[in-house]
Amino acid sequence: MDHRFQINLRGVIDLLSHHLYSSPGVYVRELLQNATDAIRARQLLEPRHEGTVRVELIEKQDGGPPTLLFSDDGVGLTEEEIHRFLATIGESSKREALAERRNDFIGQFGIGLLSCFMVCDELLVVTRSVKDGNRTMEWRGRHDGTYSVRPSEHPLERPGTQVFLVARPDAAEFFTAERVCQLALHYGGLLPFPILLTAEGRTSRINTEGAPWRRKYESASDRRTALLAYGREVFSSDFIDCIPLKSSAGDVEGVAFVLPFSPHYNAKQKHRVYLKNMLLSESAENLLPDWAFFVKCVVNANELRPTASRESFYENETLAKAREALGQALRRYLMELAKDDPRALQRLISLHGLSVKALALDDDDFYRLVIGWLPFETSMGIMTLVDYRRQHSTVRYVSGLDDFRQVARVAAAQGLCVVNAAYTYDTDLLEKLPRVFPDAQVEPFSAAELPQSFDELSLDERETVFPLLKVAELALQPFRCDVAVKKFRPKEVPTLYSADTEGAFRRDVERAREESDDLYGSMMDSVLGNAPGSERPLLTFNFFNPVVRKLAGVTDRNLMKLSVEMLYVQALLLGHRPLSAKEMALLNQGLLGLIAARLDGGGEDSGQGGVH
Amino acid sequence: MTAKDWREQVDELLGRASRMRHGETKVMALEEASRLADAHGDLDLAFEVRDELIDAATFGGFPDKALVAFAWCRAQAKKNPERFESDLLLWKQKWVVGRLDDFPHISRKQILDALDDIEQTYARVDAGKRAIHKLRYQAARDLGDEAEAQRYWDLWINAPRDHLTDCRACDLDDEIDHHIDLCEYDKAVEKARPILEGRSSCAEIPHLTYGSVLYPLLKLGRLEEARDCHLRGYPMISRNRDFLATVGEHIEFLALTDNLSRGLTLFEKHLGWALDHASWRDRFTFHMAASFLLSRLVAQGHPSVSLRLPKALPLHQPEGSYPSRELHGWVETQAQEIAARFDTRNGTDRFQKLLERTRSLDRDVYPFPINAAPK
Repeated sequence: MDHRFQINLRGVIDLLSHHLYSSPGVYVRELLQNATDAIRARQLLEPRHEGTVRVELIEKQDGGPPTLLFSDDGVGLTEEEIHRFLATIGESSKREALAERRNDFIGQFGIGLLSCFMVCDELLVVTRSVKDGNRTMEWRGRHDGTYSVRPSEHPLERPGTQVFLVARPDAAEFFTAERVCQLALHYGGLLPFPILLTAEGRTSRINTEGAPWRRKYESASDRRTALLAYGREVFSSDFIDCIPLKSSAGDVEGVAFVLPFSPHYNAKQKHRVYLKNMLLSESAENLLPDWAFFVKCVVNANELRPTASRESFYENETLAKAREALGQALRRYLMELAKDDPRALQRLISLHGLSVKALALDDDDFYRLVIGWLPFETSMGIMTLVDYRRQHSTVRYVSGLDDFRQVARVAAAQGLCVVNAAYTYDTDLLEKLPRVFPDAQVEPFSAAELPQSFDELSLDERETVFPLLKVAELALQPFRCDVAVKKFRPKEVPTLYSADTEGAFRRDVERAREESDDLYGSMMDSVLGNAPGSERPLLTFNFFNPVVRKLAGVTDRNLMKLSVEMLYVQALLLGHRPLSAKEMALLNQGLLGLIAARLDGGGEDSGQGGVH
Repeated sequence: MTAKDWREQVDELLGRASRMRHGETKVMALEEASRLADAHGDLDLAFEVRDELIDAATFGGFPDKALVAFAWCRAQAKKNPERFESDLLLWKQKWVVGRLDDFPHISRKQILDALDDIEQTYARVDAGKRAIHKLRYQAARDLGDEAEAQRYWDLWINAPRDHLTDCRACDLDDEIDHHIDLCEYDKAVEKARPILEGRSSCAEIPHLTYGSVLYPLLKLGRLEEARDCHLRGYPMISRNRDFLATVGEHIEFLALTDNLSRGLTLFEKHLGWALDHASWRDRFTFHMAASFLLSRLVAQGHPSVSLRLPKALPLHQPEGSYPSRELHGWVETQAQEIAARFDTRNGTDRFQKLLERTRSLDRDVYPFPINAAPK
């Protein structure tokens, strides 16, 4: 009896090939999936049934396209089940419905078969169910939508299913022994039963004995060598270590490989994941906790739910628990390194410091173990917090690059050790220190505070520099800059310009305002008006500096003013601070003024002219 | 420092920034690079660096810095259109203008002028009106001009797409807000479907969407889906302060489902952002949600609560014990003060209404425990 599909079969095939399948090669995956499901179903009835999948390439005598015979010794289908899967296909005309159908055996069987039409025009399925006595049924389907179901004239000796595909001429590339073998290995490499390939009269086993992490090894080092070799085979990368992964939630097992390079921050690690030993995705992302971006994994999960696109796992509580458990496995590895092999930990930190820092932030015990090994940049070079605290009771840090640059110029000479915590996580890690070690003292430091650590002048010295202070205060008033005189090292530095982070941003806004038209200029004014209570920047003259001392003694007030302005601009430039238009004008006028003063041999008429 | 030194330094900063995820450290590195370029008068480099700074600041939660960097670039491009290619800048102008109303110190007139300005700019490059209508719709919505918002919504939705309109995912995500405003929760969730199923995405989508659909799903009684959206969405936003408002949505959801402890964990972790965030709009959303969360705590008879809150909090207690009522009062006052600033600037009562909505959330509470993953 011939039947016709109630739906447009071409439509469903198009839908499948455009939305569900990335390449026609997935027909091998679908057939393997069907065979696996059938074998598993039979194992439920006969627990000792091992199961075998056979793939045979039958070349045509006339050189035409070959036939592929794909057979399993699984549970087989009854006539009623054949009709059921056909009906299921009929209902599967929507993408969402298709995805849903794949979750049950019969639905998946039908949809899996349809994928074969991406590479052939006609399919023959011969099947004998364990439930159906010794009746063998056959289903012949064509891509135009016609099919027939009838008892087979060539009954099968044992229960199971055979699928015959005659290659379509334009899809012959998917029917070579090499390609079939490669595809079967790719999708079913972890399957625990043999997949046998017969071609050109020879039969060989395609897959080895299941997942490499499930095999027995002579020793731990054999195991490590074998797993690293497997990692190289899968990801073409020479990993530096491998870590076993296991989670009872989701029934997940596998191995994580430690990357041999520092990963790009925004490059999420793509993991290879198998669902019930069949490849699900090579680019799953949501498997590990956020911080664990130093590894790439291969895992098999038996009880996680795939997303509709089957590219990763559906985000639910089971996945959350599995992720937590896998994170714990990685954490255990790091904890053991810290205890047993600090050198290896240090090497790992040099590559994957960010991962280690991220975990330390989330996890107090890990923090306690690892903080002593993490390097920080300070004004006195790279050191760990242990080294730091040996020499200084309070850990001082700046959170801004701008701050650190300002501080670094004098801090070392002043004997001040300040941590540059402008790197990712560093500020948070430092602030966590007293929470984990109650005796630790940690203080944020601002470049604006730096002058407070400088020595004060004596009373006499104060008197000497007072005229300079007065002139400087007046001269720098238009620039919203305060003035002080202190003693600090190195003495070659005549002045130090210090401002807090807001101060630097304020200068950015002012420069943008200078450039902008009325509309955006007025907005810059609004931003300035609302800037958080920014303290005025401070120009500190260094009393140890000979030029500053000399300047303090100058009687010519004009020359003194001009010199102060020049020192101010120089301090900005030395601090790599961009000049505003007004400051640029100061520089131009000042230079000319100083030259003029020099040429005149006096200070008369200085400060005139200038270029803009 | 020689010329080579500072250029190398800029390169190093740019390289470092490109490897960082969005956030404060990235913004800082680019600011530093822009200052170096400015200090050495290299206009082209300064433009290039600021161009990146606009992105980093926009997507890293520093809209004020994005505005300032944009103003500078725009000025250069205006003075020197040949030299400074401005196509990308056109795109970024949308981001900047779209966030202006987040700052209560930017006046209504300045916002409207900036909208006129971008409209003229887009007209000059022959772009369609869709992007502008959307900006005007969103501004009117945020300013509380309901009639204007409706008018521009109709124009936006019906305008054809072109090269300067937002991508499909972003448009969908923004459309959802409109349906939530109208209490059309079914429609909101339906529109979100392509995003939630992973068929449509963008830089901040689905991150934002998972937060937006929490309340609609709860109202529809689809709590399991809502829980999954929370579990999926929160990890995407928990490390970027640009999502402060979305964190607020998650906190509100946790309070609504009576997961107070989880809610407090989020509050504790993200309050620091809210204390100095440049977007007062986002601060408002966060404080409002936190105020609802803490009001639940008070209502359930917890007189005090142990939290590790930032030192910058005026109520900060080193030993970490806070009277619930006092903490709630402080957070609520923040929300009220910000609401008053916005309503004064806008000349409408939108923010007052948002506060009232939050105060009446009690009637939507539906306990639905979310189990923590085992340690």
